[in-house]
Amino acid sequence: MSAYADRRALIWSTGSFLMAVLLHIDRVPLWASAAAFACAGWRIAATGRTVRLPGKYFKTALTFLTLGAVLLMFRTLNGLAAGSALLVAMGAIKLLETGNRRDHYITIGAALFLLLAACLERQTILRSPLYLLHTWICCSALIVVAHPRSLLSNRGAAWLAAKSLLFALPLALALFLFFPRLPGAFWAFSKSGSATTGLAESMSPGSISELTDSDDPAFRAWFIGAMPPPNERYWRGPVLHDFDGYTWTSRREHHYVPERVDGLGVAYRYRIAMEPHSESWWFALDTITTPPHRRVRVTYDHQLVGTEAVTELTTYEAISHTRTQSSDPLSILARRFDTALPVGRNPKSRELAAQMRARAATDDEFVKSVLDMFRKRGFEYTLTPPQLDLNSVDDFLFNTRRGFCGHYASAFVMLMRAGGVPARIVTGYLGGEWNPIGKYFLVKQSDAHAWAEIWVNRKGWVRIDPTGVVAPERLERGILDMFPDSVSAQARFMRRTPWLADMGQAWDAMNAWWDAQVVGFNFESQLSMLDRLGFDEPDWQQLGWTFAGTLGAWLLWMTVQLGRAPRGPHQDRITRAYQKLCSKLAHAGIHREPHFGPLAFADAITAQRPDLSATLTPLLTAYANLRFGPKLSAPKVSAFERAVARLDVARR
Amino acid sequence: MKLAERLKLRAAERAAAWALRRQGPDTLPVVLQRRRIYILPTRAGIGFSLLIFTMLIAGLNYKNSLALFLTFLLSGLALVAMHQCHRNLLNVKLLDMGTTSAFTGERGGIVLTVTNESRTPRYRIELRALPKEKIATADLGAQTSRRMDLSVPTSTRGLLALKRLNVATSHPFGLFRAWTWVHLPIVITVYPRPRGAKPLPAQHGINAGAVSRGSTGEDEWLGLRPFRDGDSPRQVAWKAYARGAPLLIKEYGSTGSDLRLFDFSALTDLDVEARLEQLTRWILDAEKRGERYGLVMPNQRFEPDQGADHRQRCLTALALFGVTL
Repeated sequence: MSAYADRRALIWSTGSFLMAVLLHIDRVPLWASAAAFACAGWRIAATGRTVRLPGKYFKTALTFLTLGAVLLMFRTLNGLAAGSALLVAMGAIKLLETGNRRDHYITIGAALFLLLAACLERQTILRSPLYLLHTWICCSALIVVAHPRSLLSNRGAAWLAAKSLLFALPLALALFLFFPRLPGAFWAFSKSGSATTGLAESMSPGSISELTDSDDPAFRAWFIGAMPPPNERYWRGPVLHDFDGYTWTSRREHHYVPERVDGLGVAYRYRIAMEPHSESWWFALDTITTPPHRRVRVTYDHQLVGTEAVTELTTYEAISHTRTQSSDPLSILARRFDTALPVGRNPKSRELAAQMRARAATDDEFVKSVLDMFRKRGFEYTLTPPQLDLNSVDDFLFNTRRGFCGHYASAFVMLMRAGGVPARIVTGYLGGEWNPIGKYFLVKQSDAHAWAEIWVNRKGWVRIDPTGVVAPERLERGILDMFPDSVSAQARFMRRTPWLADMGQAWDAMNAWWDAQVVGFNFESQLSMLDRLGFDEPDWQQLGWTFAGTLGAWLLWMTVQLGRAPRGPHQDRITRAYQKLCSKLAHAGIHREPHFGPLAFADAITAQRPDLSATLTPLLTAYANLRFGPKLSAPKVSAFERAVARLDVARR
Repeated sequence: MKLAERLKLRAAERAAAWALRRQGPDTLPVVLQRRRIYILPTRAGIGFSLLIFTMLIAGLNYKNSLALFLTFLLSGLALVAMHQCHRNLLNVKLLDMGTTSAFTGERGGIVLTVTNESRTPRYRIELRALPKEKIATADLGAQTSRRMDLSVPTSTRGLLALKRLNVATSHPFGLFRAWTWVHLPIVITVYPRPRGAKPLPAQHGINAGAVSRGSTGEDEWLGLRPFRDGDSPRQVAWKAYARGAPLLIKEYGSTGSDLRLFDFSALTDLDVEARLEQLTRWILDAEKRGERYGLVMPNQRFEPDQGADHRQRCLTALALFGVTL
C-alpha cells in the first residue's frame, strides 16, 4: 500500500515537471531537456529493487556541472533563457532525491516556476491552452501528492482540481480586468528575445530585396476614420543620409533644427500594434509631427525613435499627413549633409547629373528628366539583379540597369545630390495587406521599401518614389502580386488556395485581437475600460476600489456556492413538497405537532377532520413511502408534487 | 530545534486551553460545527503563497498578461482550497469513544467511531491523541461511519487521562490545515506490569488436596448468587426469575480444587508496587490455566471466580490501588 502511494505521488509530480520541460523544449538547450527526461526515467526505475539512486556526492557534482554548462552557454546565470535552462537542470537533479512529500512539493513548485517562465517568454494564443492544461495538471498533482494514500482516485483528483480551478476562474478574470497594473517596473531585465530581422540603419544594394521572402509581420495598422489611398501608404522607417558610394547609413549624430511643417490634406488617425524587432525606432505613416508616446521622440527627419529597443508588442496611436508643405528655408547644415557625396566615387554618375542639371532650367525639370531616364532608358525592376561593384550607382546606371527599389532610390538620391538638390533616402514599408475581418492593414517584412525625399524650395521635403515610375503596379499591389515566384513558399501556397488565404487572414485577425486585448492589456486599457463602464476620470484608485468590490463579490459567491451542501435532487423536492403540504394544512387550521411523523399526522387528521381523511391519508402515506421507503423514482416524486399542488383545503 | 519544538508545544497547549474556554467541554456525540473549526496555512501553503507573490511581482514588472492571469488563477485556487479544507471537516460527527486498557509499558488504545452524515465524501480525516504519536487517518464516504484506532504509550499504572483529541484535515491540496480540539475525558486504565517470580500460592478450598478435575468434569452445586454484570445468561436461574425472584446465577464449582486466593498482605517481603506486579502475574497465570482465583486487597475482596469480567475487575482494583481519582 505504501509503495503504491509513493509511486503514485512520484508519477504525478514527475509528470507535471516533465510537462513543464516540454513547454520549454524548443528554447531550452537540448542537454537540459534530455537530462530531465533521463533523471525522471532513472527515478522511476529506482522504485523497483534493482536500480539505486545516486548519493550526495554525485548529485553535488552534477549540480556544479550544470552550473558550469549554463554559464558556458549563456555567459550568465541571469536572464530568462539561462534561468529556464538552469531551472530545468536543477529540477532534474531534484528528481533524483528520494521522494518524501516535501520533495514532491518542491518538484511541483519547480514545474509552476517553469510555467511562469514560459508565460514570460511567449504569450501566443496557441500556447495559452497549453499553459491552462499544465496548470490543471500541476493542481491535480498537488492533490495527489498531498495525500497519496487517500481513497480519492486519480480521476477524482483531476476532477476536483478542475472544479476548484473553475471556481477560481471568475476571480481570475475579475482580477485580470481590475487589478491595477501600475506602470513602471521594479527592476529592469534584459530579455534576449528572438527578434525578427527587418530594416536596418543602413542600406546596401540588395538589402531590401532580402526581406521579400519573410512573412514575419512588422506591424498592424488600424485606421480611425479616413484611409489613405494605396499610393500614399508609405510607412517611414530609418532615414539614411550618408553615402559612401555603396552603402547608405543614417548618422544620428547629425542634428539640425527641423523645418516647421504644415500638413496638407487629410490628417490620418491610426493605431499601430508593432511587433518586437529589437531596434529602437517606431513606425508611422509618412510624416508625423507629434510623438504618440512619451517614450518616443520625433527626429528632425520625422522618424520616430524610442528610448529603448522594442522588445515586446507595442501599441500606439498617431496622427500623420501624407502631404506636407514647409515655408521655412532649409538650414545650411541640412543642405550640407544632404548634398554630401563621397569624393572620387561614382564619377560617371556625377558627370551625368551635372549634364542633366545644366540642360534643365529648374530643379523640377531636373527631377523630371531623371525620372524620365528611369522610365525610358530600359530600366528593369527585378528582385534578383546582378551584384554591383563598389561604384554601385555607376554600375547600376550604365551597366546593369536592373535593380530593386533600393537601387533606384540610391541612384536617384545620388543624382539629385550631384545636381545640387538636397535629397535623402527613406526606408520603411509600402502598402500592407488588408484584413477584412479585423479591419486592419497587416504590414509584413516583405513589404519593406526604400524611396527618396528631395527638398523643393517653398515646398519643403517632397517624397519621390522612383519605383512608382519604373514599376507603378508596386504601389497598388504587394510584392506577392508582382513577383509571385520569389516570395516564400507558404505565401505562394496560400495564394493559390483562396480559402486557405481566408483562413490565414482569420487566424491573423484572431492573433491580432489576442495581442491587443489580452497580451497588450495594460494600465491604459484598464482606464479606458473604466471609462466605458461609466466612471468619470478613472484613475488607479477607482480601479483599486472596483477590484476590491469584485473580490468581495466573488468571495461571497464562492462561500455560498461551496457552503451549500449538495442534497440529493429528489430528496430536496420531496421535503419541499411536504413542507408545502404542511403549510397549506396550517392555513386551513390543521397544525402538525412537531413530534408527529407523517403517519401519526394522518391519524390526527382522521380524528380532527374526518372529512379530509380520504384525501390526506393517501397523500401522507405516499410521502412516508418516498421519504423512508426503499426505492425512489422520479415519476413518483413528480406525482406527489403535483398532488400537493392540486390540494385545496377549505377551512372549517 | 528542541527549543522551537518546546515553544510550539507550549503554544499549542495554550491555544487548546483557550479553545476549551471558548467552546466548553464536549460530550458525545460531538458534531464539528463551523465555529469550532480553525484553519491555518501549512508550510506548503506558505511556500505556495510565496510562489504566487513572486509570480505577481514578475507579471507586474514585465507587464505580462498571461503571467498575471496565472497568478490570479492560483490565488483564487488557494482561496477555494481554504474553503474546501474547512468544508471537509465540517459537520463530521464523533459518535462514540471507548478505551482499551493495557499493562504498564504497553500501549493503551482509544477507539472512536467517526461518522460523515453528509452526501459528500470526506477524505483524510486525521485524529491525534498526543503530539508525537501516530495519527489515525480515514476517508469517510457519503453517509458512512468508520472506526478509528489510536494508541498511546503508558508508563505508570493507574489512570492515564488525556485531555483532548485533535481532529484535523489538510485535504485537498495540503495547503491549509483545518483542525479542532475535542475536549473529551479520555481515561485509560493502566494495569501494573505482570512481573514476579513467586510461584502461585497453594490451592485453597473445601477439599484441599483432592484431585482436580478438568473444567469439563462434573461441577458441584455451590449455590445461588445475585446476578452480576457480565455473567453469562445461560447460568441464570430462569425458573426462579419466572416465579418473581430477582435475577440469580446458579453457581457451580469445581470440587474445591483449583481455587486460589491471592492475598495482598501475604506478600510481606515486597514493596507495594512489587506486590501489585506479582499479583498481576498470578492473576494472568491463573486465567491461563483456567483456574478460579480470588483477590484479597486491604480495602476490597473479590470472591474466587474466573472469566474476563472477573479478571478485569481484579486487575482494575490492582491498577487503582492507592491512586487518588
